[in-house]
Amino acid sequence: MFRQLLRNVKDRFRLLLLSERGRRARALHDRSRRQPDRIDPSLRFVSGFRHAYFESEARGLELLKEWLSPEQFAQYDAKCYFEVTGCHSGKRYRICHGTSMNIYELDGAGRPRVGLCFVPKGYLVSGDVMLAQKIALETDERRALTVANRFFSCFDYSSY
Amino acid sequence: MATQIVMDRTGDTRHNFDAKNADALLKAEERFRELTGAGFTAAVRTASGEAVVKRTFDPTADETLFFPRLVGG
Repeated sequence: MFRQLLRNVKDRFRLLLLSERGRRARALHDRSRRQPDRIDPSLRFVSGFRHAYFESEARGLELLKEWLSPEQFAQYDAKCYFEVTGCHSGKRYRICHGTSMNIYELDGAGRPRVGLCFVPKGYLVSGDVMLAQKIALETDERRALTVANRFFSCFDYSSY
Repeated sequence: MATQIVMDRTGDTRHNFDAKNADALLKAEERFRELTGAGFTAAVRTASGEAVVKRTFDPTADETLFFPRLVGG
């Protein structure tokens, strides 16, 4: 009787712990999605780094927004990604907020078909990286695709 | 006042110059050559907002953007 009671309490406690862990994991996941995803490792322990880092990020995003078309700007503002048209093939590409593995070639229905990864050399903030990717695809698509690495796209956009 | 914007780890560095001043224009052209020689791509925006890549210095461009060479990520 007592053992049965103890087992029940243990089970309930384990469920409670698991749900708490799940909640924390979800919160961490959500937070990581909102935060910039690449930090220059050499800057991590420098005092005042956070201020400088976020200032640089903000400057990069300002520059990006200046160069986006009104449609791209509205799309980026609402969905954290914008779409561009390749100058040679006419294919559509989706550039998501990020600094790597953030480009998807879209199929006719606007679904991600294959992932592409190419970035400007050296460390740049996310706004700069996305702007360089946009200009490259819109002005010299072939060259961009030549250097790009491909990855399988399994990202679920239904949550966006 | 014309501007050359160079992407870097701080976001960007802006070099403003008077396009009517011959010395400033010469310096800007030199900067253009140095950056493109180092692998940077130069782009300007047209009146319609479209980006156009420039292989040679355009003294009439109000804003020229430079970004580093692209590599596979």
